[in-house]
Amino acid sequence: MPIRRVALVWFLGALIPCLAWADNPLVVEAALDREVAAPLLDAFEEAHPHIQLNFRDRSTLEVDARVADEESPPDVVISSAMPWQMARVNEDYAQRLESPEARAWPEWAKWRDEVFGFTFEPIVMAYRLDLSRYVMPPKTHADLHTLLTQHRETLRDKVTTYSPSRSGVGYTLFQQDARYTTRFWDLVAAMGATDTNLEANTRSMLEGLSEGRYWLGYNLLGSYAMVWAQSHPEVFVQVPQDYSLVMMRMAFIHRDAPHPGAARAFLDFLLGREGQRVIAGETPLFSVRSDVMGPYTAQRLRDQVGERLYPIPLNASLLAFVDPSRRAAFMERWQREFQRLSQPEPSQGEPSAESHIDKGPQR
Amino acid sequence: MIEVEGTLKSRLAIWLLATVSALGVLLLAEAYFSSQRAAERAYDSQLEAAALTIAEAVQWEAGQPVVEIPSAALQILATRHQERVFYAVLDADGQTVSGNLDLDIAPEWRRRASSQPIWLNDAYHGTQWRLYGRELDSAGWETQDPVQIWVGHTMTGRESLTEVLFEHAVTRFVIMVLLAGVLMLLAMRVALAPLRRLRQQLRRRDADDMQPLDTRVPEEMREMAETLDSLFTRQRQGREALLRFTADASHQLKTPLAGLQTTSELALKSDSPDAWRQALVEVHGSAERTSRLASQLLSMARLRHAVEANATARIDALALLHETAFDWAQRDAAQAHDIGLASLPASPQYIQGEAWALRELLGNLIDNALRYTPPGSVITLGVVSHAQTLELYIEDDGPGVSPEVMAHLHHPFERGGRQDTEGSGLGLAIVDSIVRRHEARMQVESAEKGGLRVRLFFPYLTQHEQG
Repeated sequence: MPIRRVALVWFLGALIPCLAWADNPLVVEAALDREVAAPLLDAFEEAHPHIQLNFRDRSTLEVDARVADEESPPDVVISSAMPWQMARVNEDYAQRLESPEARAWPEWAKWRDEVFGFTFEPIVMAYRLDLSRYVMPPKTHADLHTLLTQHRETLRDKVTTYSPSRSGVGYTLFQQDARYTTRFWDLVAAMGATDTNLEANTRSMLEGLSEGRYWLGYNLLGSYAMVWAQSHPEVFVQVPQDYSLVMMRMAFIHRDAPHPGAARAFLDFLLGREGQRVIAGETPLFSVRSDVMGPYTAQRLRDQVGERLYPIPLNASLLAFVDPSRRAAFMERWQREFQRLSQPEPSQGEPSAESHIDKGPQR
Repeated sequence: MIEVEGTLKSRLAIWLLATVSALGVLLLAEAYFSSQRAAERAYDSQLEAAALTIAEAVQWEAGQPVVEIPSAALQILATRHQERVFYAVLDADGQTVSGNLDLDIAPEWRRRASSQPIWLNDAYHGTQWRLYGRELDSAGWETQDPVQIWVGHTMTGRESLTEVLFEHAVTRFVIMVLLAGVLMLLAMRVALAPLRRLRQQLRRRDADDMQPLDTRVPEEMREMAETLDSLFTRQRQGREALLRFTADASHQLKTPLAGLQTTSELALKSDSPDAWRQALVEVHGSAERTSRLASQLLSMARLRHAVEANATARIDALALLHETAFDWAQRDAAQAHDIGLASLPASPQYIQGEAWALRELLGNLIDNALRYTPPGSVITLGVVSHAQTLELYIEDDGPGVSPEVMAHLHHPFERGGRQDTEGSGLGLAIVDSIVRRHEARMQVESAEKGGLRVRLFFPYLTQHEQG
């Protein structure tokens, strides 16, 4: 008898969430801070109250792994690791979105009508107020290089940037930097010489800056840094004056999405006027659409920064970044350059960061 | 009876439609395949270019081939249609040096690609891919193994280009057909113009206008125009013959009537009963001749126009000959001549014909012979049985007729060049008409004794018909 009762309770316990979720669930796997995206998600839930949104904030590499999960594939995949997103689309993991919003979306921000870049996030440098007490804060990549070379000892262990091995975004940004100029490698060498700390995400870098561990950060996601700077007056954000990369968060509907209807509604919302209005007004993600108004729009950013914005092209060339041998070659070069200037004095201050360059998780 | 059977326009249209549809199916099939080939060539060259770009990036390092995939190669592969792309660089053992999809390159393909570049269509995860494989001879310091480069993409661009090219071809074809249709209508108007012109000309003609046509017609209509012309000619000839006959007949009747008038006037001026009697005798004789002339004209007209009365019967030619010859031999006019029959076949000889017409025919022939031969001449009638025909003949030993005259003896009012007889010249013409009505044949020739012989060949009735 007690066994039966237990079984009944267990059954009811299992049933209740089922009933609640059976309404119209939607699973979104996203490499996007919940805090940053909260206004957007709230607006979506308000617009579609019957859809139970299950937003899972993960790292880019975790999100990428979830795409290939055959047991319980997600409905929508959002990630800032552009090459990995592109590779998944090329592997036929995405389904085409046929809607007026998708058709109206600018050509340069979509691929095959399957994956869409729905944000426009500048890549920035950030520095702590302390830095300006010693040196003139850098405005360009060349400034940064000069600074690192001339004030090597002052800045030792005070500089931070992405780890190319542990962060897909960081790797992509460095690849793109390297495509523009070979002087980038001098910058890497200079960073290596100052025992630059390599972090896996922008948040860690910003925390380090606020805590005073770091004075200068390179290649941070502008979206996070700008919000951070508003609540942390000690942190300043600098959009590079020579060129500024722009990263787009890419979203696609999974081919085997269990709830394709809800997934389409979510993507249409992201690309639609309403979603983009929220992005432009209430998040620092920057709207791609030119017909929405707000403090955070691509157009406004262009007006402020000028024509020095270089969006990472959303096309098949991204696939080259995830080519295993090309990645291995890049990482090898990175390692070589990073250690180049610190070779003569290997015993002194071997940076702990370097150890996880090689051993970092590969995708 | 004119039965209208469709229009020339619809006939031409149906023919054009049939040929154009048949031709159209062929043309469109050809257009589709050539569009496909064109699209294939266009995009295959993209694959080649991408493979070449990747080949440029292959290098040897410590005995191993390494390749840093160039972004450009991938963009070339994707094309502007944003195809999904595949690439693989394989070493000599078929091991992947670099590549992006788990698309298997079969050993058979590798073997073929080792001799020359190959193109393949392959289904991968339910999607059609176009693949291109080529071998690259690249040499390092330690090893000189070949490397194979494989590239591929999905076929959206090819399909849409094929579609576009095919659509253009179809549009061109449809425009061509429409133009051809319009041109056909115009051409038909032009081509049928002579026919319309001829129709209008015929409609404008007066009822008694028998002139030949005066019009220009194309070669195809010449025969019809000529047939119409000859119809007009025959009608004109018929009319002219009728007019001549009427004129001649009036003239013939006028002479005896004038004689009668003169005789009666002279008699009225005289008081002598002897003169009256003499005049009455002359009037009687003249009236007799005139009446005979009128009856001949009547039978001529009857023969010419009585086409409807085809009251033919089976007639024994021997009995008819007997009867007629005996009848004429009794008459006063024949007293000066010797009318006789040649030896006749023993059994009756049947022909198909009208008894009155045949009697008229023999009578006219005998009458002619009596009139155009001097008294005492011998007139012989006879029957000869031939294989297909039965011949009736009549001959005399009179002066005969010159050969030139013989040809048109049967024309009305022809008197064999003689003006010394009382005949009207209608006799042989009547004979000729009757002969033609009986589908028989007449032959006029000189007899052995110098006179004239007229031979008539009637079609024989077979035994069965005689039955």
